[in-house]
Amino acid sequence: MNLAYDIIPVTLVTGFLGSGKSTLLADVLTGEAARDTAVLVNEFGEVGLDHLLMGEVDAQTVLLENGCVCCSIRGELKDALAALFSKRARGDVPAFSRVVIETTGLATPAPIIATLLADPVIRSHYALNVTVTVVDAVNAELQHERYPEWLAQISATDRIVISKADLVGAQQVDALRTALAALNPLAEIVTRASSALRDLLFIPARFVPDAVQSMNKIGAGTLRLGEGGGTRLSHRAETRPQPHTQPQTLSNAITSTCLTIDTPIDWQVFTLWFTLLLNRHGDKILRVKGLLSLEGSDRPTVLHAVQHLVHPVLHLDAWPDEPQGSRASRLVFITEGIDAHAIENSYQRFCAALEQAA
Amino acid sequence: MCGMCGLLGGGNHWSNTTAPASSTAGSGTGGSSNARRQRLLQASLANRILVPLRLRLDDFHGRSFVLSSPTGASELVGDFAQVWKAAERMLGRPLDPLTMFAEA
Repeated sequence: MNLAYDIIPVTLVTGFLGSGKSTLLADVLTGEAARDTAVLVNEFGEVGLDHLLMGEVDAQTVLLENGCVCCSIRGELKDALAALFSKRARGDVPAFSRVVIETTGLATPAPIIATLLADPVIRSHYALNVTVTVVDAVNAELQHERYPEWLAQISATDRIVISKADLVGAQQVDALRTALAALNPLAEIVTRASSALRDLLFIPARFVPDAVQSMNKIGAGTLRLGEGGGTRLSHRAETRPQPHTQPQTLSNAITSTCLTIDTPIDWQVFTLWFTLLLNRHGDKILRVKGLLSLEGSDRPTVLHAVQHLVHPVLHLDAWPDEPQGSRASRLVFITEGIDAHAIENSYQRFCAALEQAA
Repeated sequence: MCGMCGLLGGGNHWSNTTAPASSTAGSGTGGSSNARRQRLLQASLANRILVPLRLRLDDFHGRSFVLSSPTGASELVGDFAQVWKAAERMLGRPLDPLTMFAEA
């Protein structure tokens, strides 16, 4: 392993208070797995109780002391990550090959992702591998009802781990799974018991087409922009949690929709529209993930955004194999309080207006 | 960095990402000249929206943009996320893509 300049993958573990984040970490990070993993724990409250659980990785644990990782403390997270990297370079800590950040139960993930993306030093040494959110099967319903942080954690995540599934009935777990899939169709949902624990934390987030597929499976809405800009609305459905499993209070506004654009996208036009959209509505656009087919390029482009933050744009080498052989751009939007139809109309109008102004 | 003029690239904002050149395109379009060209194209596209609002956007050495208003105000902005914020400030009203051009 090249010690000096590799980019270290970061796993972000979120989950509401008491959902079992530390237990999950303590279970995963034993023996072999702990050897090359550095853990950053962010503690809320005066006594950092949690770091006691992680005796084995003590040397590589940096405790972030004051409260929650959110805008006010980003500097601290940045410093902790930078300090960790220099210690590693100096040989003060064993040469770890990955980092796990455990957030407080009240943290929303966006500011942490912002720290990883925006800071020039951090950006050159760390890359976000996957965001994992632990959901407490016993208390999910109550937390959903009461705490907006819970919802922020769910909507921004790549992987949801249902913990304490053994304390409730199988039926309740299934209902929770359906409700979570409706809130965030892009996430992969697993129960703790059913999965290899290490994979939960270290396998990268799954590929976009899988997410789109699973979204279609649960019957989320699909919008399609036809050839030549003509629009047809194939069907649109607001994904709502089942009434008997989740209260309708907060989730009513959360809509997920898949925008399909058949014609190749002009990247310059798209970036103008998307920056404009995020500038005005970024706080309501919880998540965007998709594969774009760009004009003049035969390589697909991956777009991935959480609220105002857009991850570095990736260009894949080749299109994934698909039965239909389709190379349409597909963007999944998870929004709060924005009509899915409005987004699609907006893009179409924007393109048309730029054409006209030419 | 541009080898000819020694200027750095346009920052790391995602909107500065350039589309990869097609494998069928001519070999004449090198990486940095393509980036510069796409940047100018992007600014001129933005002007199609901004000029009717009496604002104007110019590239500033491939590094930032300058947004100027008819009253003489001008602001150096780093990337498109900032461009729209500055434009809204100068106009004194929001630019909402969900309602823009709706009357057309």
